[in-house]
Amino acid sequence: MKNKLFEKYFVFSPYFWLVLFFFIPLAIIFKISISVSEWGMPPYQDIFLFDNGFKINTTFENYVYIFSDYYYIGSFVNSLILALISTFFCLLIGFPLAFYIATSNIRLRNILLVLVVIPFWSSFLLRVYAWKIILQNNGILNVILLNLGITSEPLQLLYNQYAVIMGIVYTYLPLMILPLYGYLNKFDLNLIEASKDLGLNRIKTFFKVILPLSVPGIVAGSLLVFIPVVGEFIIPEMLGGSDRLYYGKILWEEFFVNRNWPGASALAFSGIIILVLPIVIFQILYSRWSQKNEI
Amino acid sequence: MDNNFLVIENISKSFGDNKVLENINLNISKSEFFGLLGSSGSGKTTLLRILGGFEKPDTGRVMLDGTDITNLEPFERPLNYMFQSYALFPHLNVFNNLAFGIKENFTQKEIEINVRNIAELLSIEHLLNRRIKQLSGGEQQRVALGRCLIKKPKLLLLDEPLAALDKKLRSKTQLELTTLQKKLKITFVFVTHDQEEAMSLSDRMAIMKNGLILECSSPEEIYENPKSLYTANFIGIANIIEIYKKGENFYSDDLGINFKLNKELKNTKTNILLRPEKIKIQSINNLKTSSFNSFSGEILEKSYLGSFTRYEIKIKNMIISVLDQNFNSNSNYNFPKGEKVICSWESESIKVLED
Repeated sequence: MKNKLFEKYFVFSPYFWLVLFFFIPLAIIFKISISVSEWGMPPYQDIFLFDNGFKINTTFENYVYIFSDYYYIGSFVNSLILALISTFFCLLIGFPLAFYIATSNIRLRNILLVLVVIPFWSSFLLRVYAWKIILQNNGILNVILLNLGITSEPLQLLYNQYAVIMGIVYTYLPLMILPLYGYLNKFDLNLIEASKDLGLNRIKTFFKVILPLSVPGIVAGSLLVFIPVVGEFIIPEMLGGSDRLYYGKILWEEFFVNRNWPGASALAFSGIIILVLPIVIFQILYSRWSQKNEI
Repeated sequence: MDNNFLVIENISKSFGDNKVLENINLNISKSEFFGLLGSSGSGKTTLLRILGGFEKPDTGRVMLDGTDITNLEPFERPLNYMFQSYALFPHLNVFNNLAFGIKENFTQKEIEINVRNIAELLSIEHLLNRRIKQLSGGEQQRVALGRCLIKKPKLLLLDEPLAALDKKLRSKTQLELTTLQKKLKITFVFVTHDQEEAMSLSDRMAIMKNGLILECSSPEEIYENPKSLYTANFIGIANIIEIYKKGENFYSDDLGINFKLNKELKNTKTNILLRPEKIKIQSINNLKTSSFNSFSGEILEKSYLGSFTRYEIKIKNMIISVLDQNFNSNSNYNFPKGEKVICSWESESIKVLED
């Protein structure tokens, strides 16, 4: 009986974690997002007032404010586009790599897996900073290009959206490769040979056999890249320029520069809802689909 | 018979330092059911994979029906390969697995007709809408077979076609496979490690060991007249006895008896094969031992096999296996353990293993 109880709590511990570090903070953010802002510390009024009897002091002003200004919506759209493009490139680079790792012999496979994971051993901030040094006007890349005579003056490689995409793809690539590898590892290579034997060339085999059977890995890897990239703050901040504003940056500024906590909270809460709801719906539909197809 | 339908010429293959196939030559006729028999590591599967186009040989070439297919990709070859694991596509149902190889070149209507026909041939019509995971092993084997046969290949390669089935289903499927092959007249080449399977399926078979073909002949010929010690031991039960020339006859130190052969030998010393069913076993009361081709020994072990009883008979330093058919309607009648018996055989039954 005691063991059963332990098992029960053990199984539910992720949910406690989720409640403690996701739902409670989310509730706090929601609470701030519907409160009235003011100058002070904290910079918002309580939502329950007791001075002249009980009074609920809430407002949806903050939401109206955010959704009526394209500055906020636009930055969110920018972030979604950035996340889409980055996820696409991570998939484009990550899939062949994961497939190669999964199909190579065990010794090479272990070496390659370590190579994929090694970047995690150094600070994320340092790695992004290193890209700054590589890409800057007198950086190593420009020096090489100048010396080879490919360009006559340094190229502006840094502080634009392309540098941001590159930095994100570089940083998030392992998060795409690892779940894909985990799935492709179980792939029966005979299926590829069977497809070829039945007359399909490499390209057709890829689209008819490898791709449909890799969908779960692709979904897992893509979500793992897409979701954090939407809120990514550091990489656009360090490598990006003023050409594009992203959601994470706006959130930071609203919170720490403008000290508009309710506005920032409304922005954060809307972002989560806009992002999480479609993903949850997608997950439900997807799990139904994969159960039906037994993938 | 056209013996040049499938010609395998001087095929060699190494993986790193490991020589897997050495100078393989084989001619296989049209509509032949051909078996490659060997233990694991003999190179039989590599040879089959070379025929399928999944491995490229280091040297040599493969000719199918007059065309050199050595450098063709698997999808360019007019043959099909049935995998040991069946390699059915888990994301497709049975219908789409069967139709997989013909989707490109046929209209929807033709596909339906072809799939129905092949499903009928293999009696799997009722399974067409099932998913692969819902099939039993035997059903999966049929779908795998159907997926290949629907393409009407000139040659079908089968990697351990029955290994994944349980024993009872295996013998049933064995029979079905031979019937099917004779009906369709497609050339089948299959690989197996199971000598019984090779014997019962093959028109001809090749015995492989360490990347070499030791022998290639009909199952009867290989069983009755094996050329090498390895084959003699590999196929069936074998009593191998070393003999040497002594005067007119030959003598075995292990048995301490004389052998009379009806042919001359190249060497003065050689191994001979005596199959256990060729040995006659009689009660010692009935007669005396003759001066050659017979001995008296003691029954050490016996196992009743239904139609036969297998005896292990000890004589001097050796144990000889004997299979005795149970003619007697009274099945209780057997020689008991420990009884002295006389064993004898015809000179023709002695097979000399010269290699």
